[in-house]
Amino acid sequence: MASFIVRRLFISFFVLLGATFIVYILVSSAGDPRTALLESNDPGKANKIAALTRNLSLDMPVIPRYLNWLKGALGCFIGNCDLGNTSTGAVVTSQLSSAIGATLRLVVFAAVIAIVLGVTVGMITALRQYSGLDYTVTFLSFLFFSLPVFWIAVLMKQFLAIRFNDWLKSPTIPPWATVLIAALVGLSAMALVGGARSRRLAAFAGGALVTVVILVYLNLTQWFAEPGIGVVPMIVMSAVTAVGATALLAGFRGRIVLYATLVTAAVGVICYFALDSVLANPTNLIIFGLLVVALLVSAGIGAAMGGLYRSQAIKACMLTGFGCGALIFTANLLDAVPAYSAEVNGVVIATIGASTPNFQGNYWETWLDTLGHLILPTMAIVLISFAQYTRYTRSSMLEVMNADYIRTARAKGLTERTVVVRHGFRNALIPITTVMAIDFGGLIGGAIITETVFGWSGMGKFFNDALKIPDPNAVMGFFLVTGAAIVVFNMLADITYGFLDPRIRLT
Amino acid sequence: MSTDEKIEPPSINDAKATAAIQGMSIVARTQGQLVRRRFFRHRAAMISLTILILVILLAYTSIGFAGIPGWWIWDYYTPGLVVNRGAPTLSVWPEFLGGNGFHIGLHPFGQDDLGRDYFALTMRGAQISIMIAFVVGIVSTVIGVIVGALAGYYRGWVESALMRFTDVMITIPLLVIAAVLGQKFGGSGPLVLAIVIGLVLWTGLARLVRGEFLSLREKEFVEAARALGAKPNRIIFRHILPNTVGVITVSATLAVASAILLETALSYLGFGVRPPDTSLGLLVSNYQNAFATRPWLFWWPGLFIITIALTVNFIGDGLRDAFDPRQNRVRA
Amino acid sequence: MTVPQTTPPDDVPGGSLYGPAREDGDIFPAVQPSQGAELFKPHLSSVGDVEVLRVEDLTVGFPTEDGLVRAVRGVSYTLHEREVLGIVGESGSGKSVSSMAVMGLLPKSARITGTISFRGQNILSMSQKQQRSLRGRKIAMIFQDPMTAMNPVYSIGDQLAEAVLSHEVMPKKAAMARAEEMLGLVGIPQPKARLRSYPHEFSGGMRQRAMIAMAVINNPDVIIADEPTTALDVTVQAQILEKLIEVKDAFNAAIVLITHDLGVVAGMAHRTLVMYAGRPVELGNTDDVFYRPRMPYTAGLLGSIPSGGDTGRLRPITGAPPSLINLPEGCPFSPRCPLATDICRTVEPQLSSTDAPEHTAACHHWDTLSAAEDPTAFFRTESEARR
Repeated sequence: MASFIVRRLFISFFVLLGATFIVYILVSSAGDPRTALLESNDPGKANKIAALTRNLSLDMPVIPRYLNWLKGALGCFIGNCDLGNTSTGAVVTSQLSSAIGATLRLVVFAAVIAIVLGVTVGMITALRQYSGLDYTVTFLSFLFFSLPVFWIAVLMKQFLAIRFNDWLKSPTIPPWATVLIAALVGLSAMALVGGARSRRLAAFAGGALVTVVILVYLNLTQWFAEPGIGVVPMIVMSAVTAVGATALLAGFRGRIVLYATLVTAAVGVICYFALDSVLANPTNLIIFGLLVVALLVSAGIGAAMGGLYRSQAIKACMLTGFGCGALIFTANLLDAVPAYSAEVNGVVIATIGASTPNFQGNYWETWLDTLGHLILPTMAIVLISFAQYTRYTRSSMLEVMNADYIRTARAKGLTERTVVVRHGFRNALIPITTVMAIDFGGLIGGAIITETVFGWSGMGKFFNDALKIPDPNAVMGFFLVTGAAIVVFNMLADITYGFLDPRIRLT
Repeated sequence: MSTDEKIEPPSINDAKATAAIQGMSIVARTQGQLVRRRFFRHRAAMISLTILILVILLAYTSIGFAGIPGWWIWDYYTPGLVVNRGAPTLSVWPEFLGGNGFHIGLHPFGQDDLGRDYFALTMRGAQISIMIAFVVGIVSTVIGVIVGALAGYYRGWVESALMRFTDVMITIPLLVIAAVLGQKFGGSGPLVLAIVIGLVLWTGLARLVRGEFLSLREKEFVEAARALGAKPNRIIFRHILPNTVGVITVSATLAVASAILLETALSYLGFGVRPPDTSLGLLVSNYQNAFATRPWLFWWPGLFIITIALTVNFIGDGLRDAFDPRQNRVRA
Repeated sequence: MTVPQTTPPDDVPGGSLYGPAREDGDIFPAVQPSQGAELFKPHLSSVGDVEVLRVEDLTVGFPTEDGLVRAVRGVSYTLHEREVLGIVGESGSGKSVSSMAVMGLLPKSARITGTISFRGQNILSMSQKQQRSLRGRKIAMIFQDPMTAMNPVYSIGDQLAEAVLSHEVMPKKAAMARAEEMLGLVGIPQPKARLRSYPHEFSGGMRQRAMIAMAVINNPDVIIADEPTTALDVTVQAQILEKLIEVKDAFNAAIVLITHDLGVVAGMAHRTLVMYAGRPVELGNTDDVFYRPRMPYTAGLLGSIPSGGDTGRLRPITGAPPSLINLPEGCPFSPRCPLATDICRTVEPQLSSTDAPEHTAACHHWDTLSAAEDPTAFFRTESEARR
């Protein structure tokens, strides 16, 4: 394994080297950074042009300039990064680091959501092949995949931000919306359940009914104006989380796992009240610490109560613990919405930038600010990524479910749930993790279009602005980070593949 | 029992006789025919193909192309008087449902700031975008196939060199290098832009083709051809390549789809098609801020981009199913 | 364990594929129809009295875009303790599908009628949960290709333990101990170390042994082996089959052995069922079926086996099996049968008794075959006449 990594890094170094050369030549020949100055009417432009020429060594021919840059870049290995200056005189490395931070915040969040959603939907459509759900999802995936991001972003800004913020001022749900949403939820429930017609119709009715009840309740209490999770909904949702975690990870044959997760949920509900003071204005560190404690406590409950099903109980309890923690976090966030809305004049969902300038608020309000700014660009990225993951997971899962060992697993008398999760999913996941790693590596380059449209000051915008001039050092700095990320993540993809598939042993 | 007697091979005639008893007949079909049959059965792909052809015809015949006049009354560059803020005159909602009935009017897609007919503008944008997409598709396919075939067949240092080069190209994110190239060449016209983008889009196909060649060159028919003294050229073109047609066709189609999204994205950012030419992406970029007041300027080009990309994607999916039918559809 | 010779010696007139019969009773004694000898199978223990499986009039149909594929049309047989039933047929004869029906592994779209009784209870009328409790525990299956039949990402020990844990709740350690015991039983050396190996680290024969271990780990009453040796080398085949018999006797189980290889059936099965076009066409004691076939298809199959002394061309049965969507009227074998007459082409014959006890055949002209001294001669004459 170690020799594999060393060899890969060695080759990748030269590959990256070649790539930097190509990009440098292209950028340098794409235009002159002094063009804007040359065409301007600035009286002092002669001096500025001279300064710029000196700054960027533009009097040198291309190849020596490249070698110069390379020398500075290689210094990164010894901690002395010198990537030159931008055409405005700023130091590239510091500009890059702030840009990377902004991009990472956006991209990690979006990638995680896209992966979780995409893989789940892909799996479900694979198991319900050729059903109505399958065709709908397939069509939607194709549609999302064919959408131009910049176009849909404008639509989102208008409908999901501006109109939504306006609606929040007096949030009533019109009856037609209730009917429509209830119908959609009912249809999804029907599609998920599968099986006999009567069962599916019951699922439809159940789903629609529950939705109508919830929506009417939300309407009557004007929930959107003053959101929050009350006692009863908290208890109900915690219980549902417990049941869901059990169903997914352990099945209901051994009741003891269900009891353990329910106990975990109960502890979660108690914490919701007990930790009120701690959670008034915490810090990230406190939240992280609480998360760790939550996971440990849940694992402990699982271990103590698990009995013969100990390992499954621990896993299910930890998932429940995580879920309940997320519920508590969300509850606190929602509680802070009215205060936040007042602070930002009702612009809850923002369309530009990563945060409201000069914002002052407590922990939760700051989180809301971040989330409000994140939600639209994230959705834009997720929309397109999700389609890719769905298609890919679906075909991978289909291939796996048609394999002989699935038939053997059924022949052993395993429950369908075990066959799908333990045999099907595990094998289908192998190629998907590779895709995930490569995809993520590419995302580091920043979603250039998304960042441009939403005014996100990340890598993408940095590149866009730099290329317009064109600013060779800035573009090269951008490329160095992006290229290195791609190389590293490609290598990670191969390592993960070797780790997950025992037939591949990396040499 | 002499072995010199010629005996008719029993299989095909007996099979035919047996089939005839059951009221069936055996028909021989070439692989091309089989693929075509399966493709025509794929409803989504067929519908998409029809729509795509209609769109292409509309784009190129309506306002004419390369000097040949079209049947539309306006052209895309003559400014005019702005009527009714340039709102579209198209209406489809029938009168009995409260609308204005169906009529097209003078400017069905509306007018832009300078009074130019927006339908003509959109069509011109579509022409450019479609042309670029197809040229990119062709160029990238040709390069990808050549690189992949040579790497996959010859192995050795040829393969290493070509694959390292491909790796270098892959390391550069697509949008980045396309933007850089677009910045440099975008001003030289759409055709040059298309060729230049094609020069960077081939890496995925090259890897796929190489993979196919790697597995196919070990098959017995290649060994047999070599034993008969066939030259590498012949083996590549007459034996291995025809077997990769499926993969190549599907990839080429998908390349066209991603090309149109890529080009419109580049034009939107400003690195693609430059004025005075126009492209669908450029139109969207120009009028994105007008969305609140004059949404038609924004809707029409976007819808065309989506339609073209979507139909090409569906066609690609249909082709994929046609070339590799591992479906077992069962009427439940 | 002796491995039978595969090249026939020159000095035996009309010698057969597996050499002359040996007195110590090896697995594949010579099949010499003309001598009317009995197949000597002392290693096959006597059949028990208790009936474990009874299949009655099983039909399976698959709806497809091109029509209903009638894969199985009326199969019936019974199986007693320690009995080995061989099911022989070409691809598409329905032999695998009927066994998948017994296991309950057919897709939901399959239309199944008839009864499958396990120890008196009809499996087809059981709930999913009840069927699952039988599967892998009382009725187990061994598949053809052990490389693809095992999950490549889990160790052999994990997969074996899973088979145990899905039916019985016990600590993982106990399940692994049982797995180790089974691996030893099937003859895998160093079983404890092998528990942690992955399927791709085994050889073909060892993988199939592991599959056998997986099938018998819960002490089943019925083992269905679907072409267990087709994917293996000839030399390994004999070992695997021998092991299968050992295991069957150790657990008092019955075996349904599905294969297209007549030699395997000849040496292993108490009774043989021949299937064609989804229907059983002959059922009886293996000796009866092999030496006194009463259905032309069986005769044709036996006649097509090359013998060591032959110098002419091979003698296949001419023609091809029919499509299961559009079956011809009458006997589905009639287009290829040298004895076919008008009644054969209009009325499909049912399985009916012949001259021997418990030997049934589906042919209108079984008596012609019983009258002939060498029933396979019909096919030889036929193909010779075509020259």
